[in-house]
Amino acid sequence: MRQKTRMEKKKLFEIKNIRTYFFVEATDKQISDDNIKQDPRLKELYESDKYLKGKVPAKAVDDVSFNIYEGEVLGIVGESGSGKSVTAYSITRLIPDPPGKIVSGEVIYKGKDLLKLSFDEMKEYRGKEIAMIFQEPMTSLNPVMKIGDQIMEVILNHEDINKEDAFKKATKMLELVGIPSPEKRMKDYPHQFSGGMRQRVMIAMALSCHPALLIADEPTTALDVTIQAQIIELMLKLKKEREEAAILLITHNLGVVAETCDRVIVMYGGKIQEIADVNALFESPFHPYTEGLLSSLPNPDKPKTKLRAIPGIIPHILELPKGCKFATRCEKVFEKCWETEPDLIEKEDKHFVRCHLFS
Amino acid sequence: MTSYFIRRFLLIIPTFFGITLITFLILQIVPGGPLEMEIMKIRMGGNKGGTESGSGGNSTQNIPQSAVEELTKFYGFDKPIQERYVIWVTNLLKLDLGKSYVYAEPVSDVIVSRFPVSIYFGLIGFILTYLICVPLGVYKAVKNGSTFDFISSALVFIGYAIPGFAFGALMLVLLGGGSFFDVFPLGGFRSSDFESLSFFGKIADQINHTILPVVSYLIGSFATLTILTKNSVIENLSQDYIRTAFSKGLSEKRVIFGHALRNSLIPISTGLGHAISLVLAGSVLIEKVFNINGIGLLSFDSIVQRDYPVVMGILVISTLLLLVGNIISDIIYALVDPRIRFK
Repeated sequence: MRQKTRMEKKKLFEIKNIRTYFFVEATDKQISDDNIKQDPRLKELYESDKYLKGKVPAKAVDDVSFNIYEGEVLGIVGESGSGKSVTAYSITRLIPDPPGKIVSGEVIYKGKDLLKLSFDEMKEYRGKEIAMIFQEPMTSLNPVMKIGDQIMEVILNHEDINKEDAFKKATKMLELVGIPSPEKRMKDYPHQFSGGMRQRVMIAMALSCHPALLIADEPTTALDVTIQAQIIELMLKLKKEREEAAILLITHNLGVVAETCDRVIVMYGGKIQEIADVNALFESPFHPYTEGLLSSLPNPDKPKTKLRAIPGIIPHILELPKGCKFATRCEKVFEKCWETEPDLIEKEDKHFVRCHLFS
Repeated sequence: MTSYFIRRFLLIIPTFFGITLITFLILQIVPGGPLEMEIMKIRMGGNKGGTESGSGGNSTQNIPQSAVEELTKFYGFDKPIQERYVIWVTNLLKLDLGKSYVYAEPVSDVIVSRFPVSIYFGLIGFILTYLICVPLGVYKAVKNGSTFDFISSALVFIGYAIPGFAFGALMLVLLGGGSFFDVFPLGGFRSSDFESLSFFGKIADQINHTILPVVSYLIGSFATLTILTKNSVIENLSQDYIRTAFSKGLSEKRVIFGHALRNSLIPISTGLGHAISLVLAGSVLIEKVFNINGIGLLSFDSIVQRDYPVVMGILVISTLLLLVGNIISDIIYALVDPRIRFK
C-alpha cells in the first residue's frame, strides 16, 4: 500500500554520484599516490590546485546517489564519521572549502543541477528551497543578534516584503513553533532562550520561507529527551504547509527514524550500505551493519537480554579497507569482502543493499 | 549592573591613592631632588665666578647654611615625607596641583598647554589605526593564506619591529631637506610664521608638519590591531552561526559584515574605552626627534629636572584617565555584547 502511494510520487531531488572529499595532510603510511592517479578527475584537480599538493583525499562521501521524493521523510542513519552530515551539506553546498571539495556529482532540483550554479545563483535556493536545522542549537544562532532580526533576515532576503510585514511573519512563525508571547521574544537574544527554545527558533527560521526540502542534521541530539519528540513533531507539522515538501532527517537515533521516516538510508564509510522503506528495514535488514545497528537497540519484546554492540570502531577515514568498508568489523566477513567492494543492488523491490552476501 | 559600575567607580579611590602614594614616595626618596639640583646650580655658578680664588671642590660649604635651609623650606623638605604627601593630597582635593619648580607656573596650566598637541596627534593616530587595521584585518581574514595576506603581514610586522623614533629620524634624513629630498619640515608642530598664513596655507602647513610624526607614531601600532582583527574574524567565520547564515541564503558580504564582523569587533571595541587617554598621548622619543612639545616630552623633562609637582600632576591625570577608561571599556563591552552582564 505504502509503496504504491510512493510510486506515484514524483522525485523532488535527485542526488547522483556525489563525491565529497576532504583534502588533508597524511602520515606516510596513509599516502596512496596510486589512488590519486587512478582517478582522472582527481588527477586534474591536483594539477590545477596548488593547495592540494602533498595532501590526500579523505573520502567522506564517496559516490552517493539517492532520490528524495515529494512529501516524504527520508532518514539517513549511521555512526559518527559515516558521512551522513557531509552528504547533507553537499546538497546545500555548505562544505567548507578548503579543505573540503565536492569532486563530482549532481544535485538535480526542478531540472537544474545545483552543483553547477554560481554562489550567487545558489544563494537563491538556500533558505528558500532548501533550509537547514543544525545539531547545536546553542551555537547555531548569532549571539549578538536579536532572534527576531535573525528570522526576519531570511524572509527579507527571499521575499519581496517590507520590514513591518516581515516582522509580523516572523512573529507568526515564532507563535507556530510554540514560543509563548512571541512578539516580546522577538526582541530577545539567543542566550535568553533554552536549548529546546533555540531549536524551535531554528525551525521557525528554516521554515519561514516554506522550503521544498528541510535538511535536519541531528536536530534532537543536543536536546533533552522530553523535548526531542516535540521538536520532531513540530517539524512534521510545519512541513504540511507545503504539500510537496520533504524532510531529510540525519540522525543516529533509530527510535526517531522508526517514528518519523518513510524511507531510510544506512551509511557507513562514506557509502550507502542499504536503502529501504522504514518497515522493511526494521523487519528484515539485509546488511550486517544494519543488523548490528538494530540489535544494539533495546527490544521491549525481549526484556533482560543483553544488547549487542557492533565490535570495534569506524577505522580512520584514510585507513578504510579496500573492499567492503565494513569488512573490519563485520561478523560475516569472508575473503571476497577484503578484495572487491560490492555494488549497491536492488535485492527486493525498493530495497537496496551493498553486500557480497546478497550479490 | 548599575551597582557593579558604582562599585567600580568607588574602587577608583583606593587605587588612586595607592598609585599616587607609591609614586610620591619613590620620587622623593630617590637622591638628586630639586634641592640638590638647586644647590649644584648655585655651586656651579659659584665655581664660574670663583675660578680665581681656586676654591670649589665638591662640598656645599661655599653655600651659606641659611640659604640651604631657606631652599629646603621653599621646597617643603623641612617636613617629613608623610606630612608632605598629606599636604599634597589636601591641595589636590582643593584641585590645586601646585606650582611647577621649573616653569614657575601652576602645574595645571603647564599640562593643559600641552593638551592640544597631544590630542591632535593622538586623535589622528587613533582614528587612522582603527580605520586601517579593522578593514585590513577583515580582508586578510577572508583572503587568509593568499599572497596579499602574506605580504601585508610581513609589512605590518616589519613596522612593528622598527622603533618609531628611529624610523622618524631616518625619514627626517631622507625627506627633511637635509641630505636628500626637501619634502617635509625638520620638525615642530607648526611653522613659526603659522599665524600669518592664509586659511588653506595653515591647513597645508599643519598637514605638512603632521605626516612624518604621525607615521612614526603609528608604524608600530598596526600589527596588534590588524592581527587581532584578523584572528577574531577567522575564529568567528568558523563558528556554527556562520554556517546558519550561509544556509539562509545570505550573500557572502552580508555574512561577513552582518554576522562575523559584529562578533569579531567585540574584543576590539573594548579597547575604545582608553580613547579618553588620548589627551595624554605622546612619545618622548618621537617628540624629541620632531621637536614637538607634547606631553611625552613634558613628563620626561619633568622627571629629569625633578619637577615633582608636574610629574605628580601628569600622574594624577593619567591615573584617573586610565581607571575611568577601564570602566568605559567595561560599559562598551556590555553594550556590544548582549550576553555580558556584570554583577
